[in-house]
Amino acid sequence: MSDRHLDSDDAFAERLARVLGAPERFGDDFERSLVAAIQADRPIRWKLRPRARVGTPAWWRTPATLRLSPLAGLALAASLAMVATLGAMRVARLASGIRPPAATVAAAAVHDTVTLVRFVFVGQAKTVSVVGDFNQWGAEPTPLVATSNGAWTASVPLASGRHEYAFIVDGTRWVPDPLAPVSSDDFDTKSSIVTVGL
Amino acid sequence: MHVTDRTDADLVMSAARGDVNAFAELSRRYRDGYSRFAVRMVGDRDDAEDVLQSAFIRAYRALDRCRDPARFGAWLYQIVANECRTFVVRRARRDRRLVHDELRLHETPAASAADGSDTLEDVQYALDQLDVDQREAFLMKHVEQLSYEEMAEITGDGISALKMRVKRACARLRELLEEVHDV
Repeated sequence: MSDRHLDSDDAFAERLARVLGAPERFGDDFERSLVAAIQADRPIRWKLRPRARVGTPAWWRTPATLRLSPLAGLALAASLAMVATLGAMRVARLASGIRPPAATVAAAAVHDTVTLVRFVFVGQAKTVSVVGDFNQWGAEPTPLVATSNGAWTASVPLASGRHEYAFIVDGTRWVPDPLAPVSSDDFDTKSSIVTVGL
Repeated sequence: MHVTDRTDADLVMSAARGDVNAFAELSRRYRDGYSRFAVRMVGDRDDAEDVLQSAFIRAYRALDRCRDPARFGAWLYQIVANECRTFVVRRARRDRRLVHDELRLHETPAASAADGSDTLEDVQYALDQLDVDQREAFLMKHVEQLSYEEMAEITGDGISALKMRVKRACARLRELLEEVHDV
């Protein structure tokens, strides 16, 4: 163990501040771009850049795998059983005829202020999960289960209010629900909206 | 009078009437001072430049709400800090959707300094692991060297909450950086 442990908070912070205190300056183009943006009166949008971290120490790296808890799977199975009838009707409707990638949600059962909402995705996929504000945007993605009709479904208990969500297809592809209202964040990423119990 | 000789208050009043060049001069006065804070908060130079630009544009559009033009710098700092926080939170949301981030699998490992001292990459990456409140408080206190009173004015949070955040940030940073030096 090093003598770093002996540093007081202030001494430790001062040591880091020496490293972090290096100046950062942007070029004179900054004002040119600023004036152009102001004069164009465009909505403010941030660019979507990949977060390549060249130089990230190896010890920081974390495995980038999809984790699904067995308990979540059991809960999901139980939820699906609760809404089987309505779900089957909707899946049958969506699965008939031409099937472009499509998805929708249906409120199935209300328990106090929580509503069981069924998410349905129809399209070619090896795996599908749903992410949204209700599962911290994929901290624990909710997997959809393939049905015999070629649709993917999952039921999620949601509190009353407005929720945003999207599907993740094959682990990487972000697909907003084509049948739901769309919201767009400052990165211009499209998500879908479901309103529950209002 | 040359634009560089004008006071902040005078420039703010001109800019509020639509004089973009007056606002460009205000930007030149404060841009460098806030660049480091934005880069350290956001953890990426290009993103930080975008965030600073968007903060300055928001400030221009809200100039009629700058109650004390003589203290334009402090008012602008609030907008910059808020923009950095919003960016960090929304980027985290966006990043979480990339459940299989191939870029991470192709990172180039960088060795830490041979003498065990902290490199900017190590410290910045440790900083990125803190929650946004702690990161902001640590940077304001120890890198930008603001007083707790100034921090409270900028963030709108109480002094004791800010002190707690700084203390927790130090503890977490110490923990994270000890890992790298013990590896």
